[in-house]
Amino acid sequence: MAATTRKSAEDDSGEFAEFMADISQEIAQRVESLEPPPTAPPEPKKATPLQRDANLILEWENLADRMIEEMR
Amino acid sequence: MSVVNYGTREITCKIVYYGPGRSGKTTNLQHIYSQLPEERKGKMVSLATETDRTLFFDFLPLDLGTISGFATRFQLYTVPGQVYYAATRKLVLQGVDGVVFVADSQSRQLAENIESLQDLHANLADEGLDPRTIPLAMQYNKRDLPASEISPIEELDETLNFRGVPYFAANAINGGGVFETLRSIASMVLGRLSAPATKES
Repeated sequence: MAATTRKSAEDDSGEFAEFMADISQEIAQRVESLEPPPTAPPEPKKATPLQRDANLILEWENLADRMIEEMR
Repeated sequence: MSVVNYGTREITCKIVYYGPGRSGKTTNLQHIYSQLPEERKGKMVSLATETDRTLFFDFLPLDLGTISGFATRFQLYTVPGQVYYAATRKLVLQGVDGVVFVADSQSRQLAENIESLQDLHANLADEGLDPRTIPLAMQYNKRDLPASEISPIEELDETLNFRGVPYFAANAINGGGVFETLRSIASMVLGRLSAPATKES
């Protein structure tokens, strides 16, 4: 037959502390194993090859004007 | 229910105490609540009738603080055990991560235990959860009653615990076995953090 004596307040607070200790340890292990791998740092943007796209870049600023011109 | 959120650094687990009326579900939560240090004591919501029976459900939010960088919360619920609150039981089971089945050890309550267990399985299935795989712990409560009134643990376990899940003898009114059961179900739920939080079919 299980003893039915009510535990003392000291024992009781220890009960929750024990629970917390166990759970904390478990969570620490779980999140460590589950932590998503750090995402690779984004690749640095390649510098635009100015030589090849030089014309395109230069014309870009005037694109709206050109479209209006062509619509006339 | 999502139990781990790396974006918000939160872990939330919903645990439901299930079982027949007067088996001691609310008593489990009351004992846990009584043990919480003052700074962690939130509000335990308990809707009871004049005869102390749970009318709707009990809700105990257990804020464990930040663990390993994650704000960790356990939400503990009970369901009303009485047969006619079937709709409430289904509602409370929504999004459950783990179940503690609180069985009444009294020999004369065996049929009620079986009926409640069948009800649990049916409701889990209705929720799209697999009763064969959801984290479950069995608690055989009221072990403090005279031996002549209660069934032996082995007999209860053979009748009710067909999955062979962890089981605990308890006398929740005095706190015996309450935290052992909670620790076990919490561990099982946390062990499934890696599993996708989708419903099983």
